[in-house]
Amino acid sequence: MADLGFHWPSLLVFLVNFGILLAVLYYFGYKRILAMLDQRSASIRDSLSEADRVRQESTQAREELEAQLGEARRAGQQVLEEARQAAERYREEEQARARAEAEDFLRRARTQIEQERNQAIEQVREHFADLAITAAERVIDRSLDRDAHRDLIERALSESAEAQRN
Amino acid sequence: MAISGGAKGILIFAALALLALALAGFITGAIGAAFVDKFSGDENVVHGWTGDVLPLDQPAVHLAPQYVFGDHAGDSLDYDNKEAKKYDDSSKIFNDNSFVITNTILSSLVTSGVLIFLFVLGTARMSVVPGRLQGLLESLVEGLLGFIESVMGAGKGRGVFPLIATIFLFVAFNAWLALIPIYQSFGVIEDGHLKATFLRPAGTDLNMPLALALISFFFVEILGIRAHGIGYFGEFFRFGNLLRGRILTGLIDVFVGLLEGISHLVRVVSFTFRLFGNMTAGEILLLVSSFLVAFLFSVPFYGLELLVGLIQAVIFAGLTVVFAAIAVAPHEAEEH
Repeated sequence: MADLGFHWPSLLVFLVNFGILLAVLYYFGYKRILAMLDQRSASIRDSLSEADRVRQESTQAREELEAQLGEARRAGQQVLEEARQAAERYREEEQARARAEAEDFLRRARTQIEQERNQAIEQVREHFADLAITAAERVIDRSLDRDAHRDLIERALSESAEAQRN
Repeated sequence: MAISGGAKGILIFAALALLALALAGFITGAIGAAFVDKFSGDENVVHGWTGDVLPLDQPAVHLAPQYVFGDHAGDSLDYDNKEAKKYDDSSKIFNDNSFVITNTILSSLVTSGVLIFLFVLGTARMSVVPGRLQGLLESLVEGLLGFIESVMGAGKGRGVFPLIATIFLFVAFNAWLALIPIYQSFGVIEDGHLKATFLRPAGTDLNMPLALALISFFFVEILGIRAHGIGYFGEFFRFGNLLRGRILTGLIDVFVGLLEGISHLVRVVSFTFRLFGNMTAGEILLLVSSFLVAFLFSVPFYGLELLVGLIQAVIFAGLTVVFAAIAVAPHEAEEH
């Protein structure tokens, strides 16, 4: 073994050297680096979960916003509907009022016409009495046949009409 | 591909420089010198054309490391075995009242120092967004941890990580640092000749691989005992069937247990000599290649040694992980 260089003090020195190297590298190297790697992976995990949370929150916020928008849209539509109904109601009322007015007007016109017609008939009747008297006077004057009678009335009427015209 | 005039000039210059370097390497190297003259005069010096200016020592391979301080600086540890017992106290920690420091021990101290420096510097001001060195160390640690957990199972690697990672880093950096050109350029000079370098990769000293192998061995066995308690030794002492009167299966069991125990012990030897052999062979290869033809010839071998250093580190650390994984695995899983 000595020919190969075996030398137990050297062996001891190498063992001690390795032990010291191991201890120093462990406390000043591996420990810190592994802690840093752990810390980094933990922080990455945290960041990812944080990002997840933010994403969920934003999704939730968007859903809420959409719900609010829908609500607003529904409310707007309701307002619109109400307005439309009001307008409709107003239109119907107006129509009804116009129709009532028209009917009122018509009725008044009709009444007036009736009155005027009655008046006219009254006048005609008044004239007709005169005319009948006149006609009667003529009847007394001559004998009358049917044709002559009609002729008389015709004449009386036309005369009354002429008289009325005058 | 179009090459501009300037780039062409640089290419030609580089080619000429390489050619000159190759020529110079050939002339100053041993092969070139042998063409000029035979090894003449001083048997230990190659002369050639440049021998008077640049006397090259013949490479001498010593498996044992050399002292670098004290009266015996430059002598190998096995000096007393080679030379007629000049002194025989090489197995004492104190030699000539000074602590034994060999060039391999110095090298392992330098490796440890570099590693500690890197890690302390890189982790002094840790931040969540890493700097360059911190990022490098983090990816190193993460890669090693990933490798260990791929063998041990996810989440089980933390316990064994420090030791495995230190083995890997120590073996790899010890091999790689030695490939830095000036690393082995200083040493003990005696009579104008370089007797021993101050730094010599610790892998070429049997004691360093042996130390790592013993650490790996005890680490694995302790893990096994911690995982299975006293039952861990049932793996090696299989007397169950024999005591129950089944002689033949009992004897086979005892033999299997014996083999198991031997295989664990042999791991120490195989760990030691694998690393020691590879590192030593690499050093000799580099020494011989740069001695035969200086400069360019050894460049491919340097690349090879870079790879060998990494591979040895991976093998040493990897096998320790595998043995550890087997030791802590449930016994049923081991029965083939």
